[in-house]
Order: sequence, then C-alpha cells, then structure tokens
Amino acid sequence: MLKEINAGIGDLGKKLDRLIELQHKHSLKGGSEDSESATTLPFDVDSIVSLPDHLTKTAVVIAKLEKGTALDVSKETGRARAAESDYLNQLVSMGYLKKKRSMRKVVFYIEE
Amino acid sequence: MKGLVALHSYKGGTGKTSISANLAVTLAQRGRSVCLLDFDFRAPSLQTLFKAETDCWLNEYLDGKRELDSCFIDFSKTFNTRGSLKVGFANPSLKGIREMMTKDRKWEIKALHRSLELKTYLSEKVGADYAIIDTSPGVHFSSMNAMAASDLIVLVMKMDDFDTAGTKELVEGLYDVLGKRTTILVNRIANDLTTGQGRIGVMRELSKLSKLPVLGMIPCYCDLGDHELSGGRLIYAVEKPEHDFTKTMRTLADDVEKYLTPNSASASSTSQGDDRTPF
Repeated sequence: MLKEINAGIGDLGKKLDRLIELQHKHSLKGGSEDSESATTLPFDVDSIVSLPDHLTKTAVVIAKLEKGTALDVSKETGRARAAESDYLNQLVSMGYLKKKRSMRKVVFYIEE
Repeated sequence: MKGLVALHSYKGGTGKTSISANLAVTLAQRGRSVCLLDFDFRAPSLQTLFKAETDCWLNEYLDGKRELDSCFIDFSKTFNTRGSLKVGFANPSLKGIREMMTKDRKWEIKALHRSLELKTYLSEKVGADYAIIDTSPGVHFSSMNAMAASDLIVLVMKMDDFDTAGTKELVEGLYDVLGKRTTILVNRIANDLTTGQGRIGVMRELSKLSKLPVLGMIPCYCDLGDHELSGGRLIYAVEKPEHDFTKTMRTLADDVEKYLTPNSASASSTSQGDDRTPF
C-alpha cells in the first residue's frame, strides 16, 4: 500500500515538474493566445516521431490539416476537445506550432 | 476507402516491390479499385516492373507541381483486371533521385502534408478501395510520411540477423511511436520453416523481436531464380497465375482485406501466440 502511494507521489511529482517546465516555456513566449512573434521549429515527420507519445496523434492530424482548432483536431483523433486543446498548446510551447485568435476561435497552424 | 497499406522494411532486397505490385494486381483482379504508389524515391523500380513510359512522377506531386491523378497510369485494360489498377511511379532518373535526396526540411513539411492528404484524395477523387505504397527501406522521410498516412504497415523482412536486428530498432523507434497497425510479413523463408516445428521456431524468434502480429510467411521460391522474384522482371499475378507465389499473393490479399475490415475478428487473431497459418 505504502509502495503504491510512494509510486503515485513520484508520478505526480514528475507531472508537476513537466507542468512547471511547460508553464515556464509558455511564459517566456508571452503566454498569449496569439503567438505570431514566436519562431517555430520544423514540423516534419522526423520531429513528429521524436515527440512524447501522447502528442504524436495530434501532431499527425495538424500536419494533415495544416491549420485548425482543437475541435477540428478532436474530430479526427476521436479524443476530447479539451485534451486536444492541451496537446496543441504543448506543441505551441515546444515551438512547433503557432496559434492565433480568429473571431472567437483559437486556430493552431504550422508556419509556412 | 477500405485502407492505405504501406510496405516497409529495414533493409533493401526483402521483396517489398514485388509483393506490393502483386498484391495490388491481385486486389484489382478481384474487382477492387486499387492505386499503387512508388514512394521508393531512392531506388524507384516499379516503372521497370510495369514496363511503363511516363513523364509524370510522384516526385512532382510531392513538389506540389502536379495533381496526383494526372500522374497515374491505368493498367486495368493492359492486365485485364476487373477493378481499376492505377499506378504512380517515382522518377528513376539520377537527377530525380538526387533531387529527392537534397530536399530541405521546409519541403519535407509540405511533403508530409501532401502524403497525409493521400487517403482523402484517393478516396474522394479517385474512388480507390485500396492504396498500396511501396516505400524506401530504412528511415527515409518519404517512407516515414507514407507510414504516417497509412492504415496498415506491413513490415517485410527476411530471417537473417542483420534484418532482424534492424527491424527491432524500427519497431521500437518508429512503428510503436507512430501508433499504426503494423504487421510482419516474413519473405523468402526456407520451405521447411513455414510449417510444423520450423514455424514454431520462427514464431519464437519473432516474438523476441516484437509483439507485432505476423501476417504470414512467404516461402522462398528459389526454383524460379532469386532474381526473378526480387529483381522485378515479372508480375507473377499477371503472367503466372497458377504459380505458388501467385497463390500466396491471393492469400495475402485475403488477409490484408480482413485486416482492413472494421471489427474483423481474424485481424486481431493473427497474433504470434496462435497457430493460425495465413500462408
């Protein structure tokens, strides 16, 4: 029982570290919903296979669409919109995507 | 569209091109609408196999210069197939190959997008039931793009040490990451290893390699001469319909169709743990 709790705390710690790291990167880029000014990394298949597992599916879909909202991506992946929004924002934080506000929607896109 | 199948391997010379061509022809012979695409831009060979003359290449499709449909040649009348058989070729000229070797990452991003659009395009504009993609062996951007776009990856391998070691790397570093349905097809295996204790031994070796299901084992038809099967001189499904290799291709086509049928029980039962012998 104690071992399980310890393992759980360890997992939580890793996740918190990851969140802090992402938040830090996000704040360095201004953290706004418009990332026009940030420079993006090349988003080719080589980059995609190097991503953490949970981002691969999202990355392949946005590479196909070239631009889209979290809802567009969720329709293709079959996962929740909120989850895709989180994953897309992670890809923005990592420097692979950009995002901009279009009317009331946030559109994620690969820079030309 | 029922599915897009990418045939890949760690090494060259596993028989990928021959299997791709014969699988495509076999599916077209049974009335399916099939597109066969040569994505082996480093060593294109489908054009030689189909003895085709063209000046429109899939290279230009990836460049964004040509529509995909304009680069297809329809072989359904030539081969008298019930379904349509459209083939797109890669440019085999030295200039074409060199150009593809020197593309920058910006181009590769666009090429990935166009590769991922393939399925929608082939389904909606060409009306294809199946697309078979012959890829470049190893880790090459065009192969990775094709695999990212596919519904099923068929990993063609031979049971030699070099191939098994490299294949293990591919499975862990690429196929698992892409999260695509992937299956192993062992080619040119000694006849006595395809049944009984021999088969069990091969299955044991493959299980050390990965947990991927095994689609089948194709015996070595060495009586024909190695060069004929691997070198691309004949399309057996057209020219030798009664040959054992052609019959094996029919079984392979059955299994690929089962794999790509939604909720197919047989697709999930072809695991290394059972004794089902697809061929």
